[in-house]
Amino acid sequence: MENAEIVFNEIVKEYSERVYWHVRRFVNSHEDADDLVQDIFLKIWTALPSFRGEAQLFTWVYRIATNETLNWLRREKVRAALRFTSVDAEMEKRIDNDPFFDGDAADRALSKAVAKLPEKQRQVFILRYYDEIPYEEMSSILGTSVGALKASYHIAQEKVKASLGKEFDMGD
Amino acid sequence: MSKRTDISTPEGYFDSLQSRLADIPRREEERASAAPKGIRRLAPYAAFAASIAVAVVLGNFILRSTAVPQEDDGWTYLSYLSQALDPDGAALVDEAAWEDEEGILSEEDIINYLLADGISVEHLNYVNYEEGY
Repeated sequence: MENAEIVFNEIVKEYSERVYWHVRRFVNSHEDADDLVQDIFLKIWTALPSFRGEAQLFTWVYRIATNETLNWLRREKVRAALRFTSVDAEMEKRIDNDPFFDGDAADRALSKAVAKLPEKQRQVFILRYYDEIPYEEMSSILGTSVGALKASYHIAQEKVKASLGKEFDMGD
Repeated sequence: MSKRTDISTPEGYFDSLQSRLADIPRREEERASAAPKGIRRLAPYAAFAASIAVAVVLGNFILRSTAVPQEDDGWTYLSYLSQALDPDGAALVDEAAWEDEEGILSEEDIINYLLADGISVEHLNYVNYEEGY
């Protein structure tokens, strides 16, 4: 086995599950997450020779995963428009019809509220809330300052709270 | 509210995922060696043609970005798309309907979609920026 293949297999062992959960939160469907994870690892394999080790492996893998996921979401936005619907409506439908969604009504409402966040805020919210990635690492992944990330997360959190408040009629 | 227990995967999914992913290098090698010899011989010419196309596109981009702004005739990629879908009649794509929470669907989004669908750069007369992995 070649050196690159050994490294790749280590990346698969170490990160495939984390990347899957990260992607799944964005796409809200097991099948699409599965397809996308394969695309991401194909990209990782192709880009591996250019990995110079300036970035941490974890940061590099997440950066590729995040970029590929955003590209997927943008394509999905166009697909939805071609079907005369919105990507928000598509995401809601996915969450409602996901056979691998085991949460309660509050979990479902949270997923829908996150799906409605603007792209950047959703990225930050998922990385921080679900993936529990520290701001410093998020900063390397997204190329944004820690301060801006904290502000984004705060805004996203407020929007999610407002959305949940409306859903469960909790008021402010 | 739980963070990860609200979603699950089919039984044994991660074992199967890992073995499929670990197979990527072998599959890619097979795919590369399966490319017909003729195509491989043509690769340098294709690369040359692609570089000419990129130069043309970049030139076009530079000219467009440095030109004195003219009155906007509203002719966007959406219009091209709409024209392509329905060359004779009324536009099939209502541009106003493309608005979302973050504004109108950008040309980049549409081009990204079309490229992913196999439309060539030459057809779009557009070059996508290289991501710096």
